[in-house]
Amino acid sequence: MKGLIYKDILAMRRLAGTYLLFFLVYGGLAIAGVFDISVLGGMVVLLGMMIPMSSISMDDTNGWARFAVASPVGRQGIIKGKYLFTLLTLAISTVLAGLLMAAATLLGIGENSPIDCLLITLCCTGAGLLLDAVLLPLTFQFGTEKARILNVIFFAVLFGSMVLLGGAASHNLSLLQPPAWLLAALPVLFALVSIGGFAISYCISQSIYAKKEF
Amino acid sequence: MNNALEVSHLTKDYGSFKLDDVSFTVPGGTIMGLIGENGAGKSTTIKCILNLAHRDAGEISVFGLDTIIDERAVKAQLGVVLDDSSYFNPFTPAQIDRIQKGLYPQWDSAIFQHYLDKFSLPERKLIKDFSKGMRMKLALAAAFAIHPNLLLLDEATSGLDPVVRDEILDEFLDFIQDETHSILISSHITSDLEKVADYVTYLHKGKVALTGAKDELLDTYGKLVCGRTDLEGVDPSLLGGHRMGQFGCEALVKDRHAFTRRYPGLTVEPASLEDIMIFTVKGDAQ
Repeated sequence: MKGLIYKDILAMRRLAGTYLLFFLVYGGLAIAGVFDISVLGGMVVLLGMMIPMSSISMDDTNGWARFAVASPVGRQGIIKGKYLFTLLTLAISTVLAGLLMAAATLLGIGENSPIDCLLITLCCTGAGLLLDAVLLPLTFQFGTEKARILNVIFFAVLFGSMVLLGGAASHNLSLLQPPAWLLAALPVLFALVSIGGFAISYCISQSIYAKKEF
Repeated sequence: MNNALEVSHLTKDYGSFKLDDVSFTVPGGTIMGLIGENGAGKSTTIKCILNLAHRDAGEISVFGLDTIIDERAVKAQLGVVLDDSSYFNPFTPAQIDRIQKGLYPQWDSAIFQHYLDKFSLPERKLIKDFSKGMRMKLALAAAFAIHPNLLLLDEATSGLDPVVRDEILDEFLDFIQDETHSILISSHITSDLEKVADYVTYLHKGKVALTGAKDELLDTYGKLVCGRTDLEGVDPSLLGGHRMGQFGCEALVKDRHAFTRRYPGLTVEPASLEDIMIFTVKGDAQ
């Protein structure tokens, strides 16, 4: 297990420069006032998805999974390792984005308070967890190439719906108003759904991988 | 003598290809060569042993342990070299050392280093820049470093030049000096197996065409070299396939001692594993 996570870290280390560049570009644009500094929270979601997917893609290219299944870690260990690596990626991106946002706020860049920044970052981590919960089983089921197409469709539907909802709200269209208790409980519910979704996704991926042949 | 590997009535149906009721045994302290033409089922058999493919029927045990029920314990004893050893490509041997340490509880860095030195493999060079022979040696070094009791090698010598192949075969012979060690090696380079194998299983179209001690098989089978009229006078049930040439005929004789007694005037030469394979395929077509 440790070997698999270490292997993923090593494999992704070479892409670290690209990811750092993402942070620098978006951070720079935020400091320049193009975006709000809270946009760095979006980086958590982006990296939390991109890094695990790149790592699975690299495994596919090199036939790593076949070798790992033949080792004592077996199929279960591979899935366990990939989910732990995803959590590790999200945790590191969260800390990095949170620290950058807090530093920027303390330096007087941006309008959000440090607490707001923390909440935004945690929200983005939850969103990252949920998106990974959908993407990982799809990738294990269909392989990285086919899953990439499904991911594009999934994101088009997701963001299309958000744009439509936003548009409807800005045009004062009467949308169904959620009850006050639901709004108050939303952060906790969102956290529970994210964690629960990730746990369910893990079980689904285990079941997909158990049937897979190499 | 305990058996290192027992494959019993193994069946795997892919629709277009079926591995059908395959059974063979690798006794402890021996090398078993798994031979057969491309697509005969050698890799599928190894995949089933490693649970890379799910078998439809049959049982497989390694040192008495079931490969499904005791999967982890079985795999901890297996050194595996797969036909395409590109899985190490993005890393250096030094990094492989650390990765494998986290995968195999009994990984021995000193042994790994010993083989890196022995095979003159650079520790800090990316494996994707290695030649095929170097990659295969590295895969072997990694397999030896887990202190395996059974080595499973899928086409480990294919595509390598004769010098590297010979070097690797010597390593197999060294490994087998310990009586608790065994090797199952699949290959279609039958000359390699003639050098090192104690037992041979020949897979043909997904079935076991023959299995047994290599020396006995080579002693039993023979190659008849004769003219066309002589061949026409031979009982076809004694032959396993033939080849007609411009200047004569060749045919596989299933039991050369019985054949010589029956046809003392005809010349029967010893058959090689390659002859057995080629003539069996020809016999099918005929």
